Amino acid sequence: MYDPANGVDGEVRDVCVSDGRIVADVPSTARVIDARGMIVMPGGVDIHSHVASRSVNLARRLLPEEHDRDPASAPDLAAFDLGALPRSGSGGTVPSTFTTGYRYAGLGYTTVFDAAVAPIAARASHAEFDDTPIVDGGFFVLMGNDDYLLRLIDAGEREHAREYAAWLLGATGGYAIKLVNPGGIELWKRGARERTELDTPVGSTRVTPRTILETLVGAAEALGLPHPAHVHCNNLGVPGNVAMTLDSMRAVAGRRAHFTHLQFHAYGHAPDGGWRSGARELIEYVNAHPEVSGDVGQVMFGDATTLTADAPVEYLLHRSSGRKWVNHDIELETGCGVVPHTYRERAAVAALQWAVGLELFLLAADPWRVVLSTDHPNGGSFLSYPALIRLLMDRTYRDEQLRRVNDRLLAGSALADGLAREYTLGEIAIITRAGPARLLGLRDKGHLGVGADADVTVFARDADIERMFATPRTVVKGGAVVVEEGQLRRAPAGRRLHVRPAYDAAVERDLRRYFAQYATVSLDNYPVRGLRDAPAPTRRSSGAPARERG
Amino acid sequence: MTAALANRVARDGSRIVAPAVCLGCGCACDDIEVVVRAGRIAEARHACPLGAAWFGDGRVPARALTRGRETTADVAIVAAAEMLAAARRPLVYLAPDLSCEAQREAVALADVLRAVVDSVTGSTAIDVLLAAQEHGRAGATLGEVRNRADVLLYWAVDPAARYPRYPTRYAPEPAGLAVPRGRRSRTVIAVDVGDARGPVDADARVAVAPADEVAVLTALRVLAGEEAALRGADGPEGTAWSAARQLAPSLRAARYLAIVHDAEPREAPEGTAGDVARDPERAGALAALSLALNAVTRCALSTLRAGGNRSGADAVLTSQTGYPAAVDFARGYPRYTPYDGAAARFARGAVDAVLVLGDAGGVPAHVTVTLGIDVRGATAARGRPSVPCAVVGPRASERAPADAVAAIDTGVAGIHDGGTAFRMDDVPLPLRPSMDGWPGRPPEAHATIRALLACVAGLVRVRDATSSARRARERPAAVP
Repeated sequence: MYDPANGVDGEVRDVCVSDGRIVADVPSTARVIDARGMIVMPGGVDIHSHVASRSVNLARRLLPEEHDRDPASAPDLAAFDLGALPRSGSGGTVPSTFTTGYRYAGLGYTTVFDAAVAPIAARASHAEFDDTPIVDGGFFVLMGNDDYLLRLIDAGEREHAREYAAWLLGATGGYAIKLVNPGGIELWKRGARERTELDTPVGSTRVTPRTILETLVGAAEALGLPHPAHVHCNNLGVPGNVAMTLDSMRAVAGRRAHFTHLQFHAYGHAPDGGWRSGARELIEYVNAHPEVSGDVGQVMFGDATTLTADAPVEYLLHRSSGRKWVNHDIELETGCGVVPHTYRERAAVAALQWAVGLELFLLAADPWRVVLSTDHPNGGSFLSYPALIRLLMDRTYRDEQLRRVNDRLLAGSALADGLAREYTLGEIAIITRAGPARLLGLRDKGHLGVGADADVTVFARDADIERMFATPRTVVKGGAVVVEEGQLRRAPAGRRLHVRPAYDAAVERDLRRYFAQYATVSLDNYPVRGLRDAPAPTRRSSGAPARERG
Repeated sequence: MTAALANRVARDGSRIVAPAVCLGCGCACDDIEVVVRAGRIAEARHACPLGAAWFGDGRVPARALTRGRETTADVAIVAAAEMLAAARRPLVYLAPDLSCEAQREAVALADVLRAVVDSVTGSTAIDVLLAAQEHGRAGATLGEVRNRADVLLYWAVDPAARYPRYPTRYAPEPAGLAVPRGRRSRTVIAVDVGDARGPVDADARVAVAPADEVAVLTALRVLAGEEAALRGADGPEGTAWSAARQLAPSLRAARYLAIVHDAEPREAPEGTAGDVARDPERAGALAALSLALNAVTRCALSTLRAGGNRSGADAVLTSQTGYPAAVDFARGYPRYTPYDGAAARFARGAVDAVLVLGDAGGVPAHVTVTLGIDVRGATAARGRPSVPCAVVGPRASERAPADAVAAIDTGVAGIHDGGTAFRMDDVPLPLRPSMDGWPGRPPEAHATIRALLACVAGLVRVRDATSSARRARERPAAVP
């Protein structure tokens, strides 16, 4: 068993499950799953993915050719259950909802967060999660370009901004505060094409990426949210952007913040102004600052779909690749862009991106704070996680891959200089399970201690690491055995993970005026209601139930 | 629950439900105050004439029929389920006025049946979806158009006719963030294509011959990207280029340009049979233009869609199957057949049972004729094969042919039934039914389709088990 949160690193143990939880003991009549010789870990936790949103659905709609190539028949489930009918679907880099749930579970993942949901379309995300079986799901709420929030910052009303963030989390049924290119999307909507610096004014010198970052990182902290502000920095994918990423981290130094898909923000400037790896600079800062966490956003060679609220990035990508492009500006809140993309080994930039991601993994001092993601489907599909794990665990394999890639931009890369590190199974359990659960504040997930959710993955030991992680023998979700002998056999509905912090009711009075003037949806029709699952606790909600409005 | 929260009771005893969402067209205005008095909708305040007609008095039939005879909903559900389970190539057709929740059950039903599922989109706006799949598209939610668009290009459409409140709720009338003086902050340009004319009060207008339409859009795309072509006096000649040269400078000068076009068929197909003449090239040229203009300014297409939660059907089909319309589950997984949708399949005899879900009265006339569910009471149209049919949805007992295997009335999404519907720009809105507590109301569409799904799933399970047992008997015994 590998249960790093409880200090268990490859010991032979029993796991007892009852009523959906891990328990100390079970009666001798309990069903036994024989996992002798196998590897047992908690269920996987994906801290940053794109699986259930209106933007994801725009990407799905854009890609019939991908779906055609990857049909997904309905699974052969063990029992007839009207509430969990086996459903067919389609795959590709952006699979249909049911197929997404089945495939995540088939990989041993039992918890998935969608990292970018526009508040106005939050109810569509809930509906998509309702159709994504097995996995427990939640999402992060886009706030970094919210016009109302930016006004509050302009007026110097940071406390009011915090209350608004609290209201918005509850109104959308979201889990955490998300910033994407703070201020930069609003500038794109205004027609700007220049890159954004930390102190670039967004309509006012008081509103800048820095002040937006400070406000929302502070809000997440003050509200005692289970997960800190989840930050996608400015200038994603642009050479030299590591300076901006470091500036952003310094701007909130000493405060908890999660910086996402670090790989896309870790490029330096070569002497000729082109690309080089900035991974070492970035990871050295992260290593030295325990308040910072991140996920890597690894690029994997093959087809991907770039799909982000960071609409100006997609414009640049479309201009450079010529691939088809969807842009969708979302009123008063954010943007959305989609461009299909292929990372090729022989392409110098793709090879650099691949190397930068691996450097971040291999130079990270604390696996609890630098966890696994491909920013699915941006860097590659979640189905490529087993291949990524192999790259981390097997130096020989990694070096073979390295010899195949275009090395034009790899001068000065730590990976090219030779990195000997190989992740252990215990470390893999951290970066795919225990670490993300801890960063997300999920006390009952990512571990196998008594009281934890009974989300368990059993792998048959295999010299082929990739195959081993791609085909777990057994997966238990909430006590239900969903994968048996490598086959998906049950598909119960997952739970929704969300927060509902209390807030100052004055927010709504002011919002009502604002909505009347600028919004096209009535304030009364804006909040999502009727979520089945109880919200996760926040410091704000202890003892003080969130206010319901009507 | 949502309705109860917003209910008010007026002095005269009438009940006011607000703010309710109107699905009379794709604008999905969500500021309607529905006044219910004496068990009827007495008024739908703020609604346009189209919306008022959509709400009506809220009275709908609540009958269930099998082959024209009165029965209970349960009996009719079983009859419909048996018809579907016995079919080899069933068709599930999504008509308007279903909530997304009901549509989700409907797609599950098609999946379980290995049926073809199509929606109204498959015979109306499919070209626009196909164009977006080929090129991508630049779009925006309507609030962006309202708040930012300083130049509006109405391409062969005056929204006032079929989307009456578009001008006052979205553009050009309202003031917004970047257009503080409303209409006076905006330039409105009308392009009249033949008889399809833009708004009457446009600041500028350009007439384009229908035969030139795609050429003008293509020329505009060139001019949008190439400044040289604008300046040069010796560029390409012809009426299309000259129209494009007239338009290009205003488009390029915009800070945020919205191109408004109608995805619904241009000519009303009343009384016509067969497919409406499609123009995939026009849709493609518009999508490509919207993208190209973003190289010089910001630009978004505002695509107009009709009512009854059509965009919701596209979204639900996409999320569950990967495809927005015309999906065939025959092989046990979804396949996209946009050039072989419901009407085409029916016409060539490739369908042996039809289930219409939703308000069959909202299905385009040319499709109802093809499907043999003509709302004017004609059953199988001349020369069509007679195919067993069931209708489940609002006013099914009035819409279904007399010999329908089953006709089950349900509530109308947004009037009797709650749930979610999508605005034409894919913004999801919560429905706030006003007649949900009316004693004479029909059952909810969502619950009815779910009951039908349960019944069908059970029958299909038995059918498949029986046929695999028969195959096993007929197979020679395996030698161990």
